[in-house]
Amino acid sequence: MSAAMEAGPITVEFPRFGTFTYAEEEVFTFPWGLPGFPALRHWIALTLPTQPTFVWLQSLDDLKVAIPTCDPYFVFETYDPKLPAYAVTALEITDPSEFTLLCVMVASANAEEMTMNLMAPIVVNLRTRTARQVMLENSGYSIKEPMPRKTATGAVAGPEA
Amino acid sequence: MLVLSRKINQSIMVGDNVRIVVVAVDRDQVKLGIEAPRDIPVHRSEIYEEIQRTNQSAAAAPAPKATAGAGKATLQPRKPSQKR
Repeated sequence: MSAAMEAGPITVEFPRFGTFTYAEEEVFTFPWGLPGFPALRHWIALTLPTQPTFVWLQSLDDLKVAIPTCDPYFVFETYDPKLPAYAVTALEITDPSEFTLLCVMVASANAEEMTMNLMAPIVVNLRTRTARQVMLENSGYSIKEPMPRKTATGAVAGPEA
Repeated sequence: MLVLSRKINQSIMVGDNVRIVVVAVDRDQVKLGIEAPRDIPVHRSEIYEEIQRTNQSAAAAPAPKATAGAGKATLQPRKPSQKR
């Protein structure tokens, strides 16, 4: 994508979220794709007024694809994964203040229960806006950690709550 | 699929930087050693496939009602020092 050619805001119609306008520099790049979606490299992070703690990763390469995620610390304050070298190196993370984590959330069929994938957080470098989902095998963290109901319904839950 | 026969302590090179060594064989179980650069993730296939399925299930989540007004998410950097 050429920033020089694509100057100015871009407006798209997302099937789930309607009309949306963004700037080129707001796009997150996943150079290695995402497991299950290897070809989708460009994503935008959205929040809905009704779900302030959720971050929807919306694909720009396939507008039908959007994945609900959440900052794991909002829900699991003691979450303390050791990031593998391949993530830190690949994402050129030089300082803890320049990255954040997002964990994928899955709803059960009746949307009564939600689980969070703590074993495979998405590491986002906020400086370079590149991201990669990492796998923390043998970390003890679950792929399907049940979420407390209060946060699962999207209620506001900050780190202090 | 390329199929190669190897004995214990023999290895296979994948590209220039990845070496896979047969460390031990015990009945139907094979122990492999993998030497790869630090920037190459190495995982059991089942785990990788489960992450794939989890991402795909997540993407199949029902669209929330009244989604008009989706805004840009503000992502906060992690500051581990403030958490401890």
